[in-house]
Amino acid sequence: MSGRSRTAPGLTALAYVFLGLTTVVVAFPYLWMVATSVKPIEEFFTYPLQWLPAAPTARHYLAVLEDSRFLRALLNSTIVATVVTAISIALAVPAAYGLVRLAGQRGRPMLIAILSAQFFPPMIFFIPFYILLAQVKLLNTLTGLVFAYLSVTLPICTWMVATSLRALPRELEEAARIDGCSDVQIIWRIVLPIARPGIITAGIFAFVLAWQEYIFALLYTTTPAAQTAPVLMFYYLGQHQIDYGRLMAASVLLSLPIALPFAIIQRHYRQGRNEGGVKG
Amino acid sequence: MILGRFRRRLAIGTGRTALGYLFAAPLLVVLTVAVLLPALYNTGVAFFRYNATRDTWRYNGFDNFVGLFQSDAFWNSFWVTLIWVAGNVGLQLVAGFWIALALNRIVRFRGAFSAVLLIPWVSSFVVVAVLFLWIYHPQLGVLNDLLLKLGLVSKPVAWLSSPELAQVSLIMANSWKFFPLVMITLFTGLQDVPGEVLEAAEIDGAGRFQTLWRIVVPLLAPSIATAVLLSTIWGYNSFTLPIIMTAGGPLGSTEIMGLYIYKLAFDAFDFGGAAAASIVLFVQILAMVALYLRFADRELAPAG
Repeated sequence: MSGRSRTAPGLTALAYVFLGLTTVVVAFPYLWMVATSVKPIEEFFTYPLQWLPAAPTARHYLAVLEDSRFLRALLNSTIVATVVTAISIALAVPAAYGLVRLAGQRGRPMLIAILSAQFFPPMIFFIPFYILLAQVKLLNTLTGLVFAYLSVTLPICTWMVATSLRALPRELEEAARIDGCSDVQIIWRIVLPIARPGIITAGIFAFVLAWQEYIFALLYTTTPAAQTAPVLMFYYLGQHQIDYGRLMAASVLLSLPIALPFAIIQRHYRQGRNEGGVKG
Repeated sequence: MILGRFRRRLAIGTGRTALGYLFAAPLLVVLTVAVLLPALYNTGVAFFRYNATRDTWRYNGFDNFVGLFQSDAFWNSFWVTLIWVAGNVGLQLVAGFWIALALNRIVRFRGAFSAVLLIPWVSSFVVVAVLFLWIYHPQLGVLNDLLLKLGLVSKPVAWLSSPELAQVSLIMANSWKFFPLVMITLFTGLQDVPGEVLEAAEIDGAGRFQTLWRIVVPLLAPSIATAVLLSTIWGYNSFTLPIIMTAGGPLGSTEIMGLYIYKLAFDAFDFGGAAAASIVLFVQILAMVALYLRFADRELAPAG
């Protein structure tokens, strides 16, 4: 028997209506983006404005996909985001394990120090990174971007993995040790599998951050060889005549690689919660 | 004997701690190179004057800071940033609070609703910027079209090109992107408020808003403080949406600190001034964090 629905069924109905309206407001820009991306140019200028395309076309998508510079930028974004994710996880997981499980309470100050790196505004790095990357000849390279992005993703990933490690019951590891498992075996067979949802979530987070990063990419890359997709979109905008059809098609393409991992993240969140519920 | 005890201590206590730090060493090295040293370098740069034509540096003490405080453009961006942060925090908090409250009340379709409501948060900055440029477009934009159809305005509104409206329009776009995290933070907090508390208040005949204001809000205080802190920091750190949508214009009405620092560094090549301004920005953020810690501590004290 649910007490709250008994006392206020009206409020619950109101909550549904409110959420329905909010969801429409939140989803609308995206639906508008997709609608625009398949709208022929002629229909942009009809009056009154036509909300749905009368004759949908794939023209804008083809134009974007035939643009070798955009494809190159997509490839660059993919490379940078993948490498940043791999390095972030490779460094964050052992560090989180070392500070949370091995050092325990003594590792806490260090964890907090790592987390506090997040408070640094990106503007603090504008000039140091610029000078540093220029000096080691990494301006206009993907390597330079990877370096800059790690300053953002590493603290967050370490914190996320540390949080999920802290939730693991210590007894499992102790039981395994009594059974004669070595430290390496314990990490490999027990800690990593259980912490996997947290690690995957952190990895996806790093990917999403690197995929949409814009500031450093704008400052440190100007040549097509190193430009990422967000920066190239900015150049599209810089043209005196903005081609919105093309821009919306590019936006849809740019959103897809994030939409997919996000769907996975959601499932893992729920799975993780269920597993915790069963055990706890 | 002493050596033996030393070894034992190593093995039991310090040994594991040392091993822990060893595991963390690669990360600490990278963070030192990628975060700590650049931040220190930036602090150093703030005390030098860079001459772009001769590529030389000259020490000039606190002159960069003095120069900032004497500059109208700096003070303009200082106030613009305050309005920007206050507007963003306020809007995100109000939206996030009501939506979290509604989510907390329903049971069915909660997952579906929250999945859609989280979309803006994982959207690329550039995509959000492009999206809202298109929605705000004076002639072709859907917002003006909607308002005209509803009869709420009689002629198209210049959302981004009028100094009075540009800031508000930007805040709305930015809040659309960021409210989901405030919503999630408050929703998580609400889950810890026992249903019986809400129920008891309703049965006692406390008015709905009284219940909210006197019971729910105080119990939520730690979550609210966290949400405010996060959106304040993001507000100060903003860059991408403003530079794409207005680039600080019209007439500097949206030139928040991030844009001001960017222009100082890469348009005027005043590296020293830009570094000094970024330190001023950082100090503002630290002040907010300190305020939060005090506030949150006081709020948490009675509970624990």
